[in-house]
Amino acid sequence: MGSLQRGVRNTFRNTIRAVAVVVILAVAIAVSISMLIARDAVSAKIASVRATTGTTITVSPKGFFGFQGSGTPLTASEVTPLLSLPHVTALQETLSQRLSSTDTSLNASTPSGDLGQQFGGGFTPPVRVVGTNSPGTALVGGAFGGSTEKIVKGASFASTSDADVAILGTDLARANNLVVGSTFTAWATHVTVIGIYSAGSSFANNNVIMPLSTVQRLAHQAGQLTGATLTVDTLSHVAATTTLVSHKLGSTADVTSTVQTTQTALAPLDSVQTISTYTLFGAVAGAGIILLLSMLMIVRERRREIGVLKAIGAPTGSIIRQFIAESTTFTVLGSVVGAGVGIVMSSPIASALVSATGDTSPAGGFIRPPGGSPGGFTGGGNGFTPPSGMPTGSFRFGGFGRTLTQLHTSVGWGTLSAAFAIAILVAVIGASVAVASVVRVRPAEVLRSE
Amino acid sequence: MLIITSLNKTFKTPAGDVTAVRDVSFSTKPGEMVAIVGASGSGKSTLLSLLGLLESPDNGSIKVDDVELAGLDAKGRTAYRARKVGFVFQQFNLIPNLSALENVMLPLEFAGWSVSERKTRAREVLSTVGLGDDKVLRRPAKLSGGEQQRVAIARALVTNPGLILADEPTGNLDRKTGERIIALLRDAAEQEKRTVVVVTHDEKIATAADRRLEIEDGVLREIA
Repeated sequence: MGSLQRGVRNTFRNTIRAVAVVVILAVAIAVSISMLIARDAVSAKIASVRATTGTTITVSPKGFFGFQGSGTPLTASEVTPLLSLPHVTALQETLSQRLSSTDTSLNASTPSGDLGQQFGGGFTPPVRVVGTNSPGTALVGGAFGGSTEKIVKGASFASTSDADVAILGTDLARANNLVVGSTFTAWATHVTVIGIYSAGSSFANNNVIMPLSTVQRLAHQAGQLTGATLTVDTLSHVAATTTLVSHKLGSTADVTSTVQTTQTALAPLDSVQTISTYTLFGAVAGAGIILLLSMLMIVRERRREIGVLKAIGAPTGSIIRQFIAESTTFTVLGSVVGAGVGIVMSSPIASALVSATGDTSPAGGFIRPPGGSPGGFTGGGNGFTPPSGMPTGSFRFGGFGRTLTQLHTSVGWGTLSAAFAIAILVAVIGASVAVASVVRVRPAEVLRSE
Repeated sequence: MLIITSLNKTFKTPAGDVTAVRDVSFSTKPGEMVAIVGASGSGKSTLLSLLGLLESPDNGSIKVDDVELAGLDAKGRTAYRARKVGFVFQQFNLIPNLSALENVMLPLEFAGWSVSERKTRAREVLSTVGLGDDKVLRRPAKLSGGEQQRVAIARALVTNPGLILADEPTGNLDRKTGERIIALLRDAAEQEKRTVVVVTHDEKIATAADRRLEIEDGVLREIA
């Protein structure tokens, strides 16, 4: 039997103490792992939100929003140079148009219904065309009640395309019996359907997406834009870049960003991240101290035994290994039990932490504030923020925070590695006192106390 | 052959320096059993600690087979204890959660023996001291005092050391059991040609020894 085996066996010399130490360690390690998992989940969520919604700047003609309001279209010569501004990584330009029944052979996929009739008798929902140089980037879904459009049949077009081609929403294609390869007319031109997309809502699926240059040509709006979205490299640069873009465009455009909304929405998650980090450190320190004190007690209890081992020729290193093995066995047992409990508890703990930090946002979508008048075609969806200065009675955005509370906890290799590192740290802390005490024991003390 | 020359050891205490061993010189031959007697606090245990290299002398010489040991470093002292010395304590000092066999195997592990060799040798020595197979797997708490001391003697003998140091080996035993232990130590000296140094109050051990040394206030003298 070697020193390591003796150490493992010594763990169970006092069963009641062994169980007590393992249970206490397990609780501390369970808390550590729960906090680690919760922290990772929150971090991932924050990163995801920041990556998808937090770093964009929306540019629209002054006074224009959706198809409401007024204003003069922006020009490509004004907007395109924005791509060269510091920290701007992408620029999405759009020209949106409404096709009336005289402009197109297409019929809207949704009937006007009672809501549509509120805009006036005989109202027919128009078909919306979005010309873009960035197909597949939440043109109709993200901002208009759905997710990013996804091609379900056919293909998309190149960002620089000038062809008379289009991608139709599933609902619009179905309503007009169009498939990939079919044609329809727009502005008296035959346009070929090259793809069908789905964006998750009837409103978003009632659109036509075409190359920007094509829409500008067919609509006789060469070089004109009704919107642009700039992507900034990091959230911290969004505010400064927004100011810079506003300064560049002057009074011709409304420039808004999601930075404030995002930061406000993320504040509870930031708190959770901070709480979980401190709790993690506290739990690790607690586990280390528990083991340290236990090992201190055990070593003091076995001073005579250590002296005897030294007297009969045990090298100090061998005795140290024995106590390290004992400390490690406690840690391994505590870790195994604690990891199981921690993994099971991580999801409810993370949810409870997020809930406790407070988010009261109601269901998603646009919400009409009290006293507001009915709006037009502006819709709502996750991650979209209406321009600042929106008058009372219009729509505001809700449900962002609710999305944030939906945390997905998972245990990856990174988490497991960190948990393993925690266990090692606890074992080292626990064993350190044993090592120091063992070194100090002098074998002659055994004889002297005879 | 153990030769001690002018050995001194002084401890610093809050009450002042205490000289436990004062200019001690003596020598022993292989196969000799030496009894060191003296009152409590006279310095006998300190002398035993110096002989076992559990303490370092302030000055003086400890030679075993013409090898000077007094100046050895910690590693050298540990190696000496593992291979050249066997200890027998009054309280037996067996490891409570190890069986008799495992206790006896311990010094062999520290001396670098293989596991199979350890088992064979430990069983052999346990048998020599009168512990049969029915007892060797028992833990110390399941053995009588005499049996525990036999295990302790087996542990001291197992590496076949040239020097056995025993501190009051019969102090916790009844008369009859004590006599058996004395006989075992006597055999260890005579039959195996080992030097056995016994610190004791027990007159029977002193009488059984080949020589009798008395220590008083750290000064050792031979009693005829």
